[in-house]
Amino acid sequence: MLKQELIEKNPIRHLKGESDAKESSRMGLVMARAGVGKTALLVQIALDTLMNDKQVVHVSVGQSLDKTKLWYDDMFKDIAEVCKLDNAGEIHDSIMHNRMIITFNESKFSRAKLEERLHDLVQQNVIKPSCMVVDGFDFGKTDRAVLEGMRDLANAMNLQIWFSAVCDEGTDSQAGVPAPCAGMEDLFNTVVLLQPVAQSDCIDLKIIKGSAAVSKCGKLLKLDTRTFMIREDCK
Amino acid sequence: MKDLSKVRNIGISAHIDSGKTTLTERILFYTQRIHAIHEVRGKDGVGAKMDSMELERERGITICSAATYCDWKDHSINIIDTPGHVDFTIEVERALRVLDGAVLILCSVGGVQSQSITVNRQMTRYRVPRVAFINKCDRTGANPEKVIKQLREKLGLNAVPIQVPMGLEGDMQGLIDLVKMKAVYFDGENGDKIRIEDIPAQYKDECDAKREELLDAISMFSDELMEAVLEGSPTEEMIMDAIRKGTLSLEFTPVMMGSAYKNKGVQLLLDAVNDYLPCPTDVDNFALDLDHDEAEVKVTNQPGDPLLALAFKLEDGRYGQLTYVRTYQGTLKKGDSIVNVRTGKKAKVGRLVRMHSDEMEEIEESGSGDIVALFGIDCASGDTFTRGDYNFSMSSMHVPEPVISLSITPVDNKAQDNMSKALNRFTKEDPTFKTYVDQETLETIISGMGELHLDVYVERMKREYKAEVTVGAPQVAYRETITQRAEFNYTHKKQTGGSGQFGRVAGYIEPMEEGEYEFVDQIVGGSIPREYIPSCDKGFQKCLEKGSLVGAHVTGVRCAINDGASHAVDSSDIAFQLAAMGGFKEAYMKAKPVIMEPIMKVAVEGPTEFQGSIMGSLNQRRGMIIGTNEEDAYTVIEAEVPLSEMFGYSTDLRSLTQGKAEFTMEFATYRPVPKSVAEELIAKAQKKDKK
Repeated sequence: MLKQELIEKNPIRHLKGESDAKESSRMGLVMARAGVGKTALLVQIALDTLMNDKQVVHVSVGQSLDKTKLWYDDMFKDIAEVCKLDNAGEIHDSIMHNRMIITFNESKFSRAKLEERLHDLVQQNVIKPSCMVVDGFDFGKTDRAVLEGMRDLANAMNLQIWFSAVCDEGTDSQAGVPAPCAGMEDLFNTVVLLQPVAQSDCIDLKIIKGSAAVSKCGKLLKLDTRTFMIREDCK
Repeated sequence: MKDLSKVRNIGISAHIDSGKTTLTERILFYTQRIHAIHEVRGKDGVGAKMDSMELERERGITICSAATYCDWKDHSINIIDTPGHVDFTIEVERALRVLDGAVLILCSVGGVQSQSITVNRQMTRYRVPRVAFINKCDRTGANPEKVIKQLREKLGLNAVPIQVPMGLEGDMQGLIDLVKMKAVYFDGENGDKIRIEDIPAQYKDECDAKREELLDAISMFSDELMEAVLEGSPTEEMIMDAIRKGTLSLEFTPVMMGSAYKNKGVQLLLDAVNDYLPCPTDVDNFALDLDHDEAEVKVTNQPGDPLLALAFKLEDGRYGQLTYVRTYQGTLKKGDSIVNVRTGKKAKVGRLVRMHSDEMEEIEESGSGDIVALFGIDCASGDTFTRGDYNFSMSSMHVPEPVISLSITPVDNKAQDNMSKALNRFTKEDPTFKTYVDQETLETIISGMGELHLDVYVERMKREYKAEVTVGAPQVAYRETITQRAEFNYTHKKQTGGSGQFGRVAGYIEPMEEGEYEFVDQIVGGSIPREYIPSCDKGFQKCLEKGSLVGAHVTGVRCAINDGASHAVDSSDIAFQLAAMGGFKEAYMKAKPVIMEPIMKVAVEGPTEFQGSIMGSLNQRRGMIIGTNEEDAYTVIEAEVPLSEMFGYSTDLRSLTQGKAEFTMEFATYRPVPKSVAEELIAKAQKKDKK
């Protein structure tokens, strides 16, 4: 398989929609219960950006650098293997140059710090990201102002920001955005929910909120548990 | 037997040039171990006592940590003077391992510098309780308040002053002790006459406020004090007790100040060492039980228990090898026979001495918690001694991998002998210094923690061992590999009268993900006779030694043979070896060979404000930045950088960050070099070949 084909098979195509090119600053949110695959989907989103030869900043709160790097390596390996990607090693080496991981301790993370860091990176010409994924951001302990600040940051830097959030156990996913993010959905352009499907190797990706273009594939996508790519066979 | 609660094993560590050695010198003077004061860079040419090595005297820096013993007010204090330079971090770490407490010295002008941050982190790692001493309060621009703020912000210490200076810079008169609420003056030419008086009126308010602050900070460590404070009647003992408790739990850092150079505050610091720093039984030390999978066992510190002692430093003395030992448990006596746990070798304790920098004092026995030196014991630093009845080892010390290497060549035969003697000694003394002979270039390579580190050893070789060496730049070990499959069909034929040579080999070579080399025999029908198949293997292996691109080792190649031909008379072992070599060469260029270079995983640790410039410097060196991690005021930047670009980095990094950043690197993987670099390397190799 060629790189181009791989790009097209990525579920993110459906999330970003057609207007992606024009409106690159937008916020996305991936929600799921613990252990379903939020980080995997975020890494997938990041990999997609990397595949398009754009640059990514991965902000990891509470996880170590090595662990985060391992996510990328494993995910890429799986995708390359399943999709039989040609010259995987070469592509891997070339795209990882465009990725930068910033890790914070849980207690040390703040928007101001992150912003300072990003400006530093851009100024030193180290990286100019077009996408940022934020993993481990604690929505339970945050307020609107912080997220509004992140949104301003996204607009100012012409950046896409994707967050992951753990939804509370036992919430009813039928009724809009689950806690702890309920009431914040207006800040996000896209909100998706990952749900494991019992006795199946698929994961449901439910689009709770998205642009009009999204709906052409319906509100539900089936993803492969290993690669987080869309599965056509699993209906 | 000595009362263990009256023993203090302390270290003095800090940033270079904040005056450690001067302070130690003053301590030795006030405790009457020496009778005159010599300055580090003094004009009298004697130099400070602690700087015993010639080189240290010359450069004004302290390299080896000499252990010194002194008495202060019925307490015995063992002092380890530690170097302040980043390149000698292992010395600092080794010293910390055997210490119970430490004095962190800060310059009142420079404040918390990077080395203080590094040292502080190391102290936290080994859980060493510490007191801070703000030195050089006589210097222009002295600002203890600023330093205390930095201690809190940059080091995250709960630092509270227990003294107030009376005047700063030129007119520093003395100190006010906030515990006793008295003013202390240091009279006499050497400040050895202490005069205690009431607090002068102009400092009264300031002192009351500061004392309030101090009581607030420490009352959480003592309920008794808390109650007394509420009632308004805390006693001196209660306050001291609370400070001690807080210090031992590493949750509180008392801050003292003064000027060692101007003889101010040193005696009070010694009092604080006695009062607030732990004795050997106050801290928990752990040994590793080698019989039980290195399980941690707490040492008892009891003089009657089996012996457990750690050799933490070796030195080449006038009378042979001198081994500094800390006893953790049991008693070490003259005439005892002890066993080195690592080697299992028995040795006899011939002489037991207490060290005072260069001079020594013979003693009969050393109790647990003591630091002494042994003569004539063969061991490496980090070895544990027992009486043979105990298979325990003191926890292995954290030894960083060497980051830089150089080739050295002796100038003559005599130097050659001396060099090997010196190298043998250095590798024993210092676990971060390594040496080996490069099999390809036959050069002796030395590696260590930094350019200065190696410089010092080269220098020491010259001075102490009279071994003149020339220092070269090391070669990066490149490799070659192929990127695609290629076929070959090669006939080796030679008929020049007599028995000829004939062999035809056909097959392919292909890249292999893991492993260096694999030989595959797919011959069917005996087109190559059995006995010549190993010859083909041998032939291929010969080719792997030197690739045709830059003459580097070829790895990751699978060689397969699937056809061939032989001649009843002319085929031979050598003929098939040559045929295989011809075949390999034929296919090699078709298989798109590439040059691979070692890629190092580099971690740079530095203050956050330098993050941008550090990343810029890594980028310049073809580095791929993986990410950053923030810890307090420190940031760790991880990157993968080609080894060939890392030479001279320590110097660059130091100048880029005012010496505040450190880096470590380790081998990660081999990766193809970029085209432009490859062309350069090939051109270089061709030039070399022509010569």
